[in-house]
Amino acid sequence: MEGVSKRYPGTLAVDNVDFEARVGEVHALMGENGAGKSTLMKILAGSFDDYTGRIFIGGSQREANLHSPAIAKENGIGMIYQELSLARPISIAENLLVGRLPVRYGFLLDKRAMIAEAKRCLERVGLDIDPMTTLEEISQHEAQLVEIAKVLGNMPCILVMDEPTSALSREEVDRLFEIIQQLKRAGLTIIYISHHLSEVFRIADRVTVLRDGRKIATKDISEVTPVDVVQMMVGKRIDEFYSKRKAVIGEPVLKVRNLTRRGFFHNVSFHASRGEILGIAGLSGAGRTELARSMCGLDPLDDGDVELGGDFVPPESYQESVRRGLFYLSEDRKSDGLFLRLPVQQNLVSVLIPWNTTLGIYSSRNDARVARDMIRQLEIVTASALTDAGTLSGGNQQKVLLGKWLAGRPRVLVLDEPTRGVDVSAKMKIHDAVMEVADQGNTVILISSDLPELVGLSDRVVVMRNGHLIGEMRKEQLSEESVLLAANGQMERANA
Amino acid sequence: MLKRMRLGALYEILGIYLIALLLVAIGRFVSPQFLTNENFLNILNGVVLLGMAAAGMAFVTYSGNMADLSFPSIMAFSGIITVAALPLGLIPALAIGVLAGMAIGAMNGIVVGALKANPILWTLAVSFFMEGFMRFTWSNNQVYPDTAPGTSGAAFIQLFRVSAGPVPLTVLVMIGMFIAGHFVMTRTRFGIETKLVGSSRETARTSGINVRRVILLDFLVAALAASTAGIFLASMNKLGVFYLGLGYDFKAVTAVVIGGMMLSGGRGHLFGVLGGVLVIGLMSNIMDFLGVTSFRQNIVTGGVFILVVGLHQYLLRKRGKDYA
Repeated sequence: MEGVSKRYPGTLAVDNVDFEARVGEVHALMGENGAGKSTLMKILAGSFDDYTGRIFIGGSQREANLHSPAIAKENGIGMIYQELSLARPISIAENLLVGRLPVRYGFLLDKRAMIAEAKRCLERVGLDIDPMTTLEEISQHEAQLVEIAKVLGNMPCILVMDEPTSALSREEVDRLFEIIQQLKRAGLTIIYISHHLSEVFRIADRVTVLRDGRKIATKDISEVTPVDVVQMMVGKRIDEFYSKRKAVIGEPVLKVRNLTRRGFFHNVSFHASRGEILGIAGLSGAGRTELARSMCGLDPLDDGDVELGGDFVPPESYQESVRRGLFYLSEDRKSDGLFLRLPVQQNLVSVLIPWNTTLGIYSSRNDARVARDMIRQLEIVTASALTDAGTLSGGNQQKVLLGKWLAGRPRVLVLDEPTRGVDVSAKMKIHDAVMEVADQGNTVILISSDLPELVGLSDRVVVMRNGHLIGEMRKEQLSEESVLLAANGQMERANA
Repeated sequence: MLKRMRLGALYEILGIYLIALLLVAIGRFVSPQFLTNENFLNILNGVVLLGMAAAGMAFVTYSGNMADLSFPSIMAFSGIITVAALPLGLIPALAIGVLAGMAIGAMNGIVVGALKANPILWTLAVSFFMEGFMRFTWSNNQVYPDTAPGTSGAAFIQLFRVSAGPVPLTVLVMIGMFIAGHFVMTRTRFGIETKLVGSSRETARTSGINVRRVILLDFLVAALAASTAGIFLASMNKLGVFYLGLGYDFKAVTAVVIGGMMLSGGRGHLFGVLGGVLVIGLMSNIMDFLGVTSFRQNIVTGGVFILVVGLHQYLLRKRGKDYA
């Protein structure tokens, strides 16, 4: 790839990147969220018809115009995304051969040929299971191997894997790596996207680091250390962005003891105090969202208890949590954060319903004022308070989502990715509001994959890994490097 | 652009009454007897039970659960039970009949709310089960009240027939139900929460709303309305039997949808639904004047339903509300 760029409205997601992967190598692609890894790979997969720059494949001097997924496939590019593209209720064989099912007499499904072909596909990834099993009956790991087998069925010469291990156990990761080694020996080029340093250092031959859409460097893995890679990812940025807030931290208000939900998180204990912004760091799949949802009563808990201001919060009773001022801001505003089809005003007052009700009768007297104040405070750009929330831009939708919870006057506000996919100015406004909530003596718990945000806002950070709380970092220990190392399980180096 | 948006909003509120006026004009054109007080009462009498049912159905639609197809069985069941309980006196019989219907509503509300069953399939199954149950229990027979003068049975069959001046009791009850329903939908916590649940069930849950309770209440309100309609229907026919109420499921949904309530939930209002009921009554009355048989009238009602649902979908797309 030479001088490749891709512009989204408002941002240059990939900026003039040269990228080269050799035959028979595992090439890791690393960078923070928003660094442009996924966009770069989507260009390769033919997802965009408006990228600029030139791409050459397989030593050919002819430029490959990867303007559609079909063309990318013809050029031998296979993609394995985080979310599997398999249909669950049908058999492995049908999933593998979708689009090229063997037929007899032009229309009858040739079942025997299908099973035989599916078996051959599965052998290539070392899976020995009956191809007529449905996807529902096999494990996540096996499903992933089926996905790989499916992509290999198209005879790719380049295989892109985006965070392939996020849902796998340690043994399963080992098996996946064996298969990657086999594919490499067979002459495939594998591009491996991951946040997990340990995996990259185990499997990759070379590593390319992206930052803010640009390529920082491509290095042989033997030349670099994990700390070098982290420094390349983070860069030497001085963030004026985060004003140095002087946190006034009071007595502990939220105490969480031995929280366990089997399969998601285990024995998690921590506390958070008045006036404090407590960050929760971790890689995707570490169990942060699951912990937050269960802690607030949205999802079940197997064990442990949550104490808010001296009282126990009943499990699995989110209404009760909301009544007591323990709020959870959803990471996905579209599916369960906002009422997209209802006006901004209705969204902003939706948490206040119990407080505005007397004897079952709802008083809408304050609705307009609450909405007006919140629109002003958060500088929400909307035609009017009665515009449907779904018509707003992403950043303004996110402000409405935050405003809805601010209007409810939180005691403990749990924010899950509060600035995902929003522009810089909306982000700053949201950060200001979050700091203000803490300054008023409330508690904020912040889950964010945006490292500068997590480091810039948090007064203290607890680190989760594989469902366990593995450590805690004080304000003065916080830096993007240290948090990233800690999230990768290198606590000692992080605190060094 | 802005002007068109306003027109769209105006249509949502007044559109159905404009259509009703248009139908009145057509009716005047079809027959000179159309514009008489007597015919107007005829029209009202023809749709008054449908109106009661639609007022309840609207709550289910508003909550995003599309329709309660167990309406016919709720109506028949509460009718039969009321008639069977008449020896206990009129008021106890009415209370028992309404409670019987609401028991079905409670079951629907729990299964759809707590177990997240598909409302259409579940209520369809309940309807099927209840029909079989009633046929079995009463051996396919009709249940008659004792209508000797002075008995509670005699009073019961008068329910459908008494008037306050020129206005029948049924019409008063229907209008009362719409006014009360409108108040509940727009002014109570339960009504607001129904709107939120109807707009997005998941978001309502993560906003701290007890979604299960709201949906249970919606099905209870619907069953209360259906039972009331069913009891008047039994009074009208002077008997209770498993097939009374047939067709009220679909006709009620038609009135709700014509009245501007979106099947996807959270949008619309009860006075639109009342307009939808009137439009159905007017259409049917005009077709009566034209001598259209009732089977052919069904074709027209079904056709209108298809048209309106198609139009809704088209308008939604046109406004670029694919986020909805």
